[in-house]
Amino acid sequence: MSDTQLYKAQLLDHFKKPRNKAVGELTTMQVVKRGSNPRCGDEIEVGFSLKGNIIEPIQFRGRGCSVCIASASMMTEAIIGQPTEYAKIMATEMQKWIAGEDVNIPQMLKPLEAVRHHPARKKCVMLAWHALIEGMEESNV
Amino acid sequence: MQAMDDAMRLFHSPVNRGFYPLAEQTTTRYEQARERLQRFIGAENQASVIFTASATDSINQVAQGFLLPRLKPGQNVWVTRMEHHANYLPWQYVCEQSGASLCIIELTDTGELDLERYPEIFSDSTAMIALTQTSNVLGITNDVKAICERAKQKNIPVLIDAAQALVSNIINVRELGCDFLVFSAHKMFGPNGIGLLYIAPEQLNEVQPVRLGGGMVDFAADSLADTIWSEAPHRFEAGSPNFVGAIGFASACDFVESLGQANIKAHITELATSLYQALSHYPNLHVVSSARHLSSGIVSFYHDVIHAHDLAQIMGDSGVAVRAGHHCAQPLLRHLGVSSTLRISISVYNTNNDINAAVSALEYAQKVFS
Repeated sequence: MSDTQLYKAQLLDHFKKPRNKAVGELTTMQVVKRGSNPRCGDEIEVGFSLKGNIIEPIQFRGRGCSVCIASASMMTEAIIGQPTEYAKIMATEMQKWIAGEDVNIPQMLKPLEAVRHHPARKKCVMLAWHALIEGMEESNV
Repeated sequence: MQAMDDAMRLFHSPVNRGFYPLAEQTTTRYEQARERLQRFIGAENQASVIFTASATDSINQVAQGFLLPRLKPGQNVWVTRMEHHANYLPWQYVCEQSGASLCIIELTDTGELDLERYPEIFSDSTAMIALTQTSNVLGITNDVKAICERAKQKNIPVLIDAAQALVSNIINVRELGCDFLVFSAHKMFGPNGIGLLYIAPEQLNEVQPVRLGGGMVDFAADSLADTIWSEAPHRFEAGSPNFVGAIGFASACDFVESLGQANIKAHITELATSLYQALSHYPNLHVVSSARHLSSGIVSFYHDVIHAHDLAQIMGDSGVAVRAGHHCAQPLLRHLGVSSTLRISISVYNTNNDINAAVSALEYAQKVFS
């Protein structure tokens, strides 16, 4: 029924079974950053620790729509075990991709493809990514 | 649409600014539109009928131009928990500017105004009461006439936000006894970008113009002290008036009255009741609208699991246009304990098939997220 194919199976899978989603506080993480979208009430907190310059572990918690939760879940899978330099580049590339630019992003983020055609939902996708970016900036990594 | 098309094609020239025949015709038509709005709300005269950019713009004019200059520390301004941000933030701003207090009339368990809880509303400490006639989230229609009557006994000015109420209610400002009434054209099938501000005749000289510029001044002196504003309504309409919008606004009055507000209300109530009953069969859905107030056509709800934006997206893909989010009423949604709701607004053009389509789309969304 959904011509836009926004709700693909992979997206719904991440929403229903989010990866790296914490139940309680992210107190064990070295860096914790909260992002919110007041327009829809979505709130996501992203936390990560560093082993040298490697991000591991990374978790998130919060509430949001399926796109928001699925995007946060996919982000943690794309970033975990990666160097901070890679995470910064990936966050920038993700912003460009969601804005409609033709850039390469990892296959595991491709289920978000349809969101690029729904301007109103782009903030939902980027909420966790913005929290990650701000977390890295504030911790000077 | 035809009236606005004609306005663009045949009469597009300055209002109140030209002496050639076309410009004079344009001015005449603009004032005829004002006269149409005057009749639509039963205003005493055309000086009280002011075109603005929106209902929001109208409220800001009253908050800044009427209340702020007279508001004192220790005074109270009362609004309600169900206000749209447009009828909340402007009052909050003037209160914080002046040291007055913004007080909120909370709701009963059934979502209605809990007026009896606040006897101090109608006291000498109140500088202003501003409330919506019909909530854009709950659909609840308040007894604004009774509030105006009680306020009048204490000489408390009242502003009514009628934006959500006009299509299915005949509004007569003289019968209501309000000091200010605002609404916008787009809520009654008219164009975006134009609204109305009614100011009761006895308050006209109490309101300072907020927007200054062309067309609102008789004598622009070297200092404001010597400047002479034009007579109302023109002193509140700085800048080139929205001629096409005014024409569309007047035609919207014709359209609504040709259908008849009572007929519209009956049609909307019947469909909204069907929808309300259908939704109450789904245990995961929580309807926040009251069964006693369905004549506004607003049925708002939220789902236990599925976010309102997801529901709205899937319904949209199914051809059902609904609104999701906080509906510019965050104080109310905090009171309800939810971050967003989904609102189905029934109007004159809807049929039973639309109700069935909405319910089917909801069922499909539940299947997607099951």
